[in-house]
Amino acid sequence: MARQTLEEPLTRDEPAALADAETVDTALAASGDASAFERLYRTHVNRVHSLVRRMLDADEADDLTQDVFVRAWQKLSTFRGESAFGTWLHRLAVNVVLARRKTLGVERGRFQGGEDPLENVSARRVTPEISMDFEEALANLPDGARQVFVLHDVEGYRHEEIARMLGVVPGTSKSQLHHARMALRRYLDR
Amino acid sequence: MNDQWTDRLSEYVDGELANGERAALEAHLTTCAACRGAARELRQVVARARALDDRAPKADLWAGVAKRIGAGKVVDIRSRRFSFNVPQLIAASIALIVLSGGGAWLALRPRQTQPSTVGSRFAPRGGLTLAVSTGRTDAAIADLQDVFERNKSRLDTSTVRVVRQAFSTIDRAIAEARTALEADPGNAYLNLHLADTMRRKLELLRRVNAIAAAQS
Repeated sequence: MARQTLEEPLTRDEPAALADAETVDTALAASGDASAFERLYRTHVNRVHSLVRRMLDADEADDLTQDVFVRAWQKLSTFRGESAFGTWLHRLAVNVVLARRKTLGVERGRFQGGEDPLENVSARRVTPEISMDFEEALANLPDGARQVFVLHDVEGYRHEEIARMLGVVPGTSKSQLHHARMALRRYLDR
Repeated sequence: MNDQWTDRLSEYVDGELANGERAALEAHLTTCAACRGAARELRQVVARARALDDRAPKADLWAGVAKRIGAGKVVDIRSRRFSFNVPQLIAASIALIVLSGGGAWLALRPRQTQPSTVGSRFAPRGGLTLAVSTGRTDAAIADLQDVFERNKSRLDTSTVRVVRQAFSTIDRAIAEARTALEADPGNAYLNLHLADTMRRKLELLRRVNAIAAAQS
């Protein structure tokens, strides 16, 4: 960015400038400017793709990520600027993923307390790419535990919100989260 | 390890236990090494989850998105319904103006080590003209700002929030222009940029106050 090559930095902080630029791009995209929408896509695609990949199978992540952005384009008319565009997009992505799960009838079993859900995870050495190991362990969690873990511990939703999204009671969300954490803890013990 | 507290450890780690239960569990932890270790490891799992990096897809997915939304075709704005209200669009347009103005300023701004030549032919003499003109505008802005503060309750909160964001954006631009002018008072572009930005704040205040007045 040209600004970084100047001898003197601007007094204006970068996040504020980026937020302003995003406000502009959101308004432009809402009026039909695909170039502005592409800039929004470039800014947010990594986060959306990671969310989708963690909540569904990796081989579906590309298609679902595209679905999220197409849906965002179609629904920009409902974005009222009451939150940041990224927050709105992220919630939209969660809804698209959950709807996809329903369509697929994903019900690979709630967590069964007596089994180790990470039996098939290879025991890699702890390396600088340790997050990859963690991602692999996460991907092998049973579906219910995985959804709750991603939404709560990775994405920061509260149990009450997760319960509404998944159509369960908060106690179920808490229980699934605990099982997921305990499973990942056991994996990390290896 | 499987005692009555095992299944409550995540709630404990998340600070979700009631005071009585928390105290009881903490008392238990002093005597149960297994639960103590588990609680420590659960915290490590939570920390690991929060530290996960977002990764890019292996392939660029934009082409597929662009095809599905018809990017590249001429989009008829009238065919798209959107519900940005007037203040939001004002905010967006002002931000665009400020950003493009800032970019132009960056392009035109002389380096500190070099004497200014750009615009020196058009410099206000002695800087006095600038001080007088902005003083009047400052007073007008202050008056309109007072009116806005008195009438803002007539507007819905989301509108007020958007308008305040727009004010904030404009005020930053004004402050930047003033700071730059202190170092280079003869820069014609900066003088025009400051005057134009202040004029836009006046216009915004007038429009917002008119909207508020219409709500009465």
